[in-house]
Amino acid sequence: MNPPSIGLLVEITARTLAVCLPALAISLAIGLPIGIAIGGRRFAGRVPLVSLINTGMGAPPVVVGLVVFFALERNGPFGSWSLLYSPVAMVLAQVVIALPLVVGITLAAVGSLDEDWELQVRTLGVPKRWRLWLLVREIRLGLLAAVITALGGILSEVGAVMAVGGNLEGETRVLTTAILMYTQMGELEIALGLAVILVGLMLVLAGLLTAVQQSGRA
Amino acid sequence: MTHLRIFCSLVAASAVFACSDRVAEEEDLLLVTTTSVRDSGLLAELLPIFQERTGVRAQVVAVGSGAALRMGRDGNADVLLTHAPEGEKALVASGAAVSRVPFMENHFVIAGPPEDPAGVREASSPADAMRRIADSSARFVSRGDDSGTHRREVALLKEADLDPSGGWPGFLSSGAGMGQSLQIAGEKRTYILSDIGTFLAFQKRIELEVLSQPAPSLRNVYSVIRIDPAKLEPVRAERAEQFQAFLLDPEIQRQIAEFGRERFGRPLFRPLHLESRPQS
Repeated sequence: MNPPSIGLLVEITARTLAVCLPALAISLAIGLPIGIAIGGRRFAGRVPLVSLINTGMGAPPVVVGLVVFFALERNGPFGSWSLLYSPVAMVLAQVVIALPLVVGITLAAVGSLDEDWELQVRTLGVPKRWRLWLLVREIRLGLLAAVITALGGILSEVGAVMAVGGNLEGETRVLTTAILMYTQMGELEIALGLAVILVGLMLVLAGLLTAVQQSGRA
Repeated sequence: MTHLRIFCSLVAASAVFACSDRVAEEEDLLLVTTTSVRDSGLLAELLPIFQERTGVRAQVVAVGSGAALRMGRDGNADVLLTHAPEGEKALVASGAAVSRVPFMENHFVIAGPPEDPAGVREASSPADAMRRIADSSARFVSRGDDSGTHRREVALLKEADLDPSGGWPGFLSSGAGMGQSLQIAGEKRTYILSDIGTFLAFQKRIELEVLSQPAPSLRNVYSVIRIDPAKLEPVRAERAEQFQAFLLDPEIQRQIAEFGRERFGRPLFRPLHLESRPQS
């Protein structure tokens, strides 16, 4: 067993980002509007819907992986797309994991607004198209919390991406699955090196987002 | 109030559970095994008998043979079950292990899609089969995890004068256990080297077929290895000796000979100490 070269570490790190960042972008693109829509409205069936979302926030990733596995396997409903053990399958599983986190935290942020915030805005005669912008500005701290939580959730996740990605070298091997593999192989030094990269990555990304969050506060 | 009471009793129950586990630990034997022996279900059948006879409960850690041998070398195991003869002999030669006894065998198979695009069925030997797969740039899932099966892949590739780390376009390294690697091979319709036991367990699900003929280079021998007693507490060294003797016991050897017949219609392993037969 040859120790992995620096090039390989860079490659695994790059692939990790290439999977996680699109998954994050998709989760935000879908989740933020849904969260704002549900958060700002009262309608029949809202309570069961919100509790469903809250359940999703705690969904065990390994179960998500299993469900996506069954959907994508050759004899499954979407088997003809041949997506299992590909990066696309990993993105899909991560979106399923991150989406409830984004929706849940967003709607909590909207819900935490002052009861008559909307009334105030309306009284001030703000046009409807600007109201959404004002709302987003108002809850931006909560939205950044949603981004950080979702990113942390998918970057550190291993069960689901192992199940649907398969840890294929050069195709679906990301930091978490590589750490698991080297640990099981007894190559603990390499596993530790990759772990340092993973934690460092999270530190940098969370640091950047927090800087944005805190600068918005001033 | 009721909720609080339920919560408290749950906490208390789990504390008791955790403690009872700790007490039992002193009676244990740390058995580090290759995954195929666990995944086939053989250990689940044999270990209760061992516990009944000796009162010793074996804790099973299933890893690839490479990792198992490393754990043995570092003193993180009492007894090993592995199928990597060269590495095992080296461990004994280094003094880290004192006794290596082959106790059962089966064989590896080269499996693949029934259409067999690379013509593995017509291959004259396992090495020739690997050459055909490489020459036609057919897809092949490698374990890539330094397990006993991976070491055999490497040996076959070397015998065929091929790059031991693959190198042809269809070569995929899964870095995963035998079961998951077989799933990947089934999904992607590739060739794969597998032990026969795990292959039979997955065959229905993955729809691949055995394409290779039995050959000496596909022989798969499992050994039980005792770690140097100087590295262990005396009581654990004694249990390791008991476990080794247990696996060679005629009754247990007969049980190994029968194992798998019910589920797969054929035995998964051949015991090596039932009748006189050559040992490696």
